[in-house]
Amino acid sequence: MSALLSMQAVRGGYGDADILQGVSITVAPREIVVIVGPNGAGKSTAMKAVFGLLHVRGGQILFDGDDITGWAPNRIVKRGVCYVPQVDNVFREMTVHENFEMGAFLRKGDLDAAYDRVYGLFPDLRAKRKALAGDLSGGQRQMVAMGRALMLDPKLLLLDEPTAGLSPKYMEQIFTITRDVRDSGVSIMLVEQHAKQALAFCDRGYVLATGANRHEGTGAALLADREVAQMFLGG
Amino acid sequence: MTFIDFINFHIVPGVVLGSIYAVGAIGITMVFGILRFAHLAHGDLATMGAFIALSTMGLFGASPWVGLPVAMIFAAAIAVGIDKTFYDYLRDRPKILTVMASLGVALMLRSVVQVVWGVDSTTYQRGIVRPDEYFGILLRDRELYTLLAVATIVIGLEAFLRKSKWGKAMRAMSDNPDLARLSGVDNRHVTMLTWAIVGALCAAAGFLLGLNNELNSMMGWHLLLPMFAAAILGGVGRVEGALLGGLIVGIAEELSVLILPGQYKAATAFVILLLILLVRPRGLLNGKVL
Amino acid sequence: MELIGLANYAIFMGILIGIYALLALGLNIQWGLTGLFNAGIAGFFAVGAYASAIITSPHVAGRVGGFELPIVVGWMGAIVFAGLIAWPIGKVCLRFRSDYLAIATIGVAEIIRLVIKSEDWLTGSSRGITGIPRPFGELDYVASQLAYLGLVIAAVAVVYFLLERQLKSPWGRMMRAIRDNEAAAAAMGKQIEARRLQAFIFGAAVMGLAGALFVHFNRSITPEAIDPMIATFLIWIMLILGGSGNNRGAILGAIVIWLLWSVSEMITDRLPTDVALQAKYIRIFVVGLALQLVLRFRPEGILPEEQARQTAR
Ligand SMILES: Nc1ncnc2c1ncn2[C@@H]1O[C@H](COP(=O)(O)OP(=O)(O)O)[C@@H](O)[C@H]1O
Ligand SMILES: [Mg+2]
Repeated sequence: MSALLSMQAVRGGYGDADILQGVSITVAPREIVVIVGPNGAGKSTAMKAVFGLLHVRGGQILFDGDDITGWAPNRIVKRGVCYVPQVDNVFREMTVHENFEMGAFLRKGDLDAAYDRVYGLFPDLRAKRKALAGDLSGGQRQMVAMGRALMLDPKLLLLDEPTAGLSPKYMEQIFTITRDVRDSGVSIMLVEQHAKQALAFCDRGYVLATGANRHEGTGAALLADREVAQMFLGG
Repeated sequence: MTFIDFINFHIVPGVVLGSIYAVGAIGITMVFGILRFAHLAHGDLATMGAFIALSTMGLFGASPWVGLPVAMIFAAAIAVGIDKTFYDYLRDRPKILTVMASLGVALMLRSVVQVVWGVDSTTYQRGIVRPDEYFGILLRDRELYTLLAVATIVIGLEAFLRKSKWGKAMRAMSDNPDLARLSGVDNRHVTMLTWAIVGALCAAAGFLLGLNNELNSMMGWHLLLPMFAAAILGGVGRVEGALLGGLIVGIAEELSVLILPGQYKAATAFVILLLILLVRPRGLLNGKVL
Repeated sequence: MELIGLANYAIFMGILIGIYALLALGLNIQWGLTGLFNAGIAGFFAVGAYASAIITSPHVAGRVGGFELPIVVGWMGAIVFAGLIAWPIGKVCLRFRSDYLAIATIGVAEIIRLVIKSEDWLTGSSRGITGIPRPFGELDYVASQLAYLGLVIAAVAVVYFLLERQLKSPWGRMMRAIRDNEAAAAAMGKQIEARRLQAFIFGAAVMGLAGALFVHFNRSITPEAIDPMIATFLIWIMLILGGSGNNRGAILGAIVIWLLWSVSEMITDRLPTDVALQAKYIRIFVVGLALQLVLRFRPEGILPEEQARQTAR
């Protein structure tokens, strides 16, 4: 199976310093890949590198047959990658439905199918379509954020800590939905703090530390790895 | 003073003046909210618009109202041009530098008005207009039309912002600029559109002020404080807030003569500005704070 | 004859340049050092001018005053009153980004202008205040002018050295850190507000002192003596062109801009009257344009601030 996304030894950072010191990650079609690692390891930064928000100084990012290294986010969006940032990921003063409309900003033509799909994935939001996103609970806001990103019908969805600050109930729900999204044909790259739960549900995982790959493997293999367990999973 | 006199002498002029402030304040709140800086050339752009309408009227020898759409179009183009020439290159520097550049633009616009149209006061129409009575309320035709024009502008703008694709993009940019960009909204288009709308609103405010008052090269500069007070009072970034704030500031100015000498009308806006910053910097409708 | 006339003119210019240099130094404390946008410089200048005038001038029926206190007291008064006006404005606005301060200072300058124009009992409104004593006024003309120039230079020197000392102190280093790093500034919270307030008041006080120097030089003052926008604007250009953050830059900017401004005035004054008026406004247009050009092509000014900076202002 050829990879949809392939980051190869990517180096880069925000200013002069390289935060990423050689990160290599691949995501296959219809795969959920989880990235875990301690705070400040560069997980979010790796994700931003894919989305063109970082100054990449070395390595290569290939997506679906194109070298997208150095592309502007606008162009990457059109190519089929959508990104849900860790914070500030909804338009708070716009309604749920308007958030979805903004998600489809670049799309032309009939959007009914796209709306049906997101409201199908997030049935709770159907009743709240006229509510302001800022007035929703944290979990629902996260769903709005994912829905907004899905409106463009991406091939790859980047999710940065979608479960941060959510109750276990909502965390389960987000994971379930993530799986549903994957089953609808989207590859997913997911950064997670809740390493144990995330590794249990993902297809494959990477452990990053200080801006570089530390471990990789299937979720089950990583969970079984003693070193990983000691380092990141609290024993 | 009877109640109806109170309405006619204070509230009616206050509402008319306030609705003019509102049109200006909406532009201020849009620049503040979407482009995130205080646009100090706003008043002088309004002056420019008022005088363009005057020249248009002179050209066609018709009612001043034909000047309004022409002035709005010209001012929109001027605003876009000013942005491209004087603000755009400061995009990536601290926003306060754009504020400074806008103060320079204010000075430049004003001197253009002074060179082209002179410094003497003038009016669109001469002569005294008697007001008509509507259920005891005295309104001049021009006041009635002013209110209608403001209502049209506000409703039209609201409809654009709520219903159209680019209107929503402008709101999105005001709400969360990073996410708007991630969604594929082109910042440059939104900026240009914002300036076009803001320029047109400036011209409308200047025209309406000239219609109900007089035109002179300083008219817009003196609008600046009440417009900013109205925008901040309503809540930065909130169109409805700017409308509400404009009406409050206008009425407050007209009421201030009950307790203050007339020449201090202009101080009312300043007091309102400081008070709202002190007790509720987000404004009545919970806007942004920069 | 020519030569003496020229020398007299040079002294006259020197005095005005000194006064503008003080204003530019005051603004440098606020903007160059602290990043505070004061768009009402003329207001603080006017408060200083009128305060010192009222304190030192002889009695006139119907107007407060007739204190005839020593000139030094007038100057102190100018400093104190300008600072007192700055205090509440700063208190309210310095919690926010400097945009709000810009608007509020425009407002306060406008209200000061209204008060000066309409409060006869305080400022003599359109008649203004006359008979203001001048230090060394009893000397003959040239000597008196020269002595006053000396006084102005001394004032500039004192403010300059005070500022330089502050700049190198921990206070100055901290101010710059606040200015250049919004995030760090936000983290320091309340303390920053207090520092900013100090800088704002200090700067305003220097502007008040400049007003006092101006009024005792002129011996009289009327509302027309100060055109708020032009005065404020000239000082901004002086500082930006000279080099904000650099005290010598502020002084150099005052010299360059005031010379250009005066020479261009001499030229426009010679034009026939019908175009002279237009030329006057074109001159103002050029001032506005000059600011844009400096911001665009030489944002750091002629004499940039000494420390290498991360973010150009
Ligand atoms: N916008 C930014 N500018 C500069 N440095 C940043 C920025 N965002 C993150 N960093 C730095 O990059 C490093 C990695 O951060 P991040 O990728 O957010 O970590 P993680 O998501 O793994 O917790 C940290 O040292 C952080 O301080
Ligand atoms: Mg992170």
